[in-house]
Amino acid sequence: MNSFWTVVGFTVNNKVKGKPFIISTIVLALLISIGINLPYIITQFGSSENAAKSIGFIQSTSEELTLGTSTAQQLKAYFEGQESPAIKLVAYEDKGSAAENDKQLKQAINDGAISGYLDFGAMTESGFPEVTYKSEKLMEYSLTNSLQNALTLIRQGTILQNAGLTQEQMTMLNTPISIQSMQISATEGAGSIGEGKSIDEQGMNMGLVYFLIILLFMSVMISGQMIASEITAEKSSRVMEILITSVAPLKQMFGKIFGMFIVVIIQVATYVLVAIVNMNLPHNVETFASFNINLSDVDTMLLVYSLIYFLTGFFLFATMFAAVGSIVSRTEELGQAVMPITIISLGGFYISIFSISTPDSMLVKITSFIPLFSPFVMPLRLGLADPPVWEVLASIGILLVTIYFAVWVSAKIYRTGVLMYGKRPSWKELRKAMKAYKV
Amino acid sequence: MNPLIVEKVVKQYGDKTAVNGISLEVGKGEIYGLLGANGAGKTTTMRMVLGLIYPDGGSILYNGKPYSTELLHTMGYLPEERGLYPKIKVSDQLIYLAQLRGMSKKDADKSLKYWLERFEVPEYYNKKVEELSKGNQQKIGFIASVIHSPQIIILDEAFSGLDPVNVELLKSTVKELRDNGTSILFSTHRMEHVEELCRNITILHRSNAVLQGNIKELKKQFPREKVIISTEQEVSGLEQISGVTKVIRHEYGYELSIENESVGGDILRHAMNQSEITRFEIKEPTLNEIFIKTVGDRNE
Repeated sequence: MNSFWTVVGFTVNNKVKGKPFIISTIVLALLISIGINLPYIITQFGSSENAAKSIGFIQSTSEELTLGTSTAQQLKAYFEGQESPAIKLVAYEDKGSAAENDKQLKQAINDGAISGYLDFGAMTESGFPEVTYKSEKLMEYSLTNSLQNALTLIRQGTILQNAGLTQEQMTMLNTPISIQSMQISATEGAGSIGEGKSIDEQGMNMGLVYFLIILLFMSVMISGQMIASEITAEKSSRVMEILITSVAPLKQMFGKIFGMFIVVIIQVATYVLVAIVNMNLPHNVETFASFNINLSDVDTMLLVYSLIYFLTGFFLFATMFAAVGSIVSRTEELGQAVMPITIISLGGFYISIFSISTPDSMLVKITSFIPLFSPFVMPLRLGLADPPVWEVLASIGILLVTIYFAVWVSAKIYRTGVLMYGKRPSWKELRKAMKAYKV
Repeated sequence: MNPLIVEKVVKQYGDKTAVNGISLEVGKGEIYGLLGANGAGKTTTMRMVLGLIYPDGGSILYNGKPYSTELLHTMGYLPEERGLYPKIKVSDQLIYLAQLRGMSKKDADKSLKYWLERFEVPEYYNKKVEELSKGNQQKIGFIASVIHSPQIIILDEAFSGLDPVNVELLKSTVKELRDNGTSILFSTHRMEHVEELCRNITILHRSNAVLQGNIKELKKQFPREKVIISTEQEVSGLEQISGVTKVIRHEYGYELSIENESVGGDILRHAMNQSEITRFEIKEPTLNEIFIKTVGDRNE
């Protein structure tokens, strides 16, 4: 056991003291700081961003334009009546011809006075003329949407007024209706048993699940690469031959994996610390208070399960990376060799992230049992759906059995692989050689 | 009982036999030479002794016991290709390696300082291995193999890449370790080192032990076929002596190849008639010649 900790200590020491580690940690910490302060920075710079967008239109009494003018006037009145309007309409005088008008409005766009303008066509069944919004940008959906909404409301108002409704009745009609949603468990769920989750709790759980999934993915990617490349480096520099004659390979492998785990935890803890410090800076407190973060909303059972999946997932992937690292002789070949594992972890990660709105789909249910995916997918189910306890236990059981086999096979591959040089061995050669070693 | 007994070990890689039934014994305080051309099976044999790979047949006993992980602490190994972390400080990695072999950090540090001092390179303590020259890396590698005072040391091409001064330094160190009772298994291509250091040798050729035993005994088995003679004046007619097969003139005199030792007397008498003789020697074969003869014969 003693030499195990020696390996752990050596691994941690060399990584943490190494320049690449320090530099990458600082760079990421800086990025996190910038990311967190971004909302504040934007409010400092972009006060104009929040100002209403100006949209031009032609005001005219000429026959063909009068219809458009009245519609635009209605819109203008509507937006002016709002508390903080997103849109402001600006009238331009009629220059006589359509081409001249276009020229005038385009000039206005160029000058920055307006960001686009409205063009009106023939009368349609909707009660308004055809409206075209012209601007230099494509896909201004939010803007066209608010215009559309405004017109709908204006029309509604006109019709209701004509129908003789009082102001009160109209207010009542316009009052939004809210629906609360609460997740309950119909069976003995493994999440918060029978308690149900309110919106706030769900939000918090979702945050936690996201956080842990991303954390797992990052840890696997960072440390997996490091473990594999360290082993390959030891192998190519032949330190490995001395190491194997000094420590049992299994101790050595797990010492390395555990050491890397500590390194990753140190790194992640640094990031989390940086994030917390930044969030508590006086100018940021307000912004984040509005997000309603309340750690007491976190479900303890979810936390426990998620941590189990995090640890098992990390361990499983790390063992596989170690095995691959031990087969490859040169660092240049490593990227290619670890590709399959990288893709699998990416797969699990994406299934989980993209299923956040459908935590009940068949894909999620099935992959939450498949060992390499379950550490990513099951926490999602736990947090957002309510899987039965037996399913969760079965999934963990399958995962543990897989880890047992992965460790056994990896240890064998490791013991064999570290002494195989030259080209990457074929599976057949590897299997044959593996038979020679007791682990 | 000898500390290291290798008995009829066999190692096969696929269809190829890398080592075919080699036996050897290394006594306490003995340096055992393992010779052979490239690919003869030296490194494979050493790796089996180290427990890096397992023999397919035969057995290896350490102090009478089979291989076990406890043995790891009592063995030292210098691989042919250094085996050091290039980017890590000498002190960090040597102390690490020593700790892995059961030393305490403090003892390891002390031992490391002693060895650096001894090799006259104490300034390397804080240097990274990649900053050192090849020969100096070799020295550090050597320290790594002896830092924990092992009972059995395995040196694979320990002197390759070293300048003559450092070779002497390492040789004297190896001899000192031997005198302190360490058993050393040693492989090299350089015959003069073997002649100087080893009591017993095994010459490997294509996975087989072709010649084995005490160097002095081995030499006796090979006939003395060379005569060196240095004279004041020139000597003529050496070629005509019956039994002389070849005469080569050197600046210092003549080198004659003879059929058997008894011809030596005839040569001496012949030469004495013509000149003063400053040197006359019926040379015993060098290990180099023995090696070439044994291995070369089989190549044909």
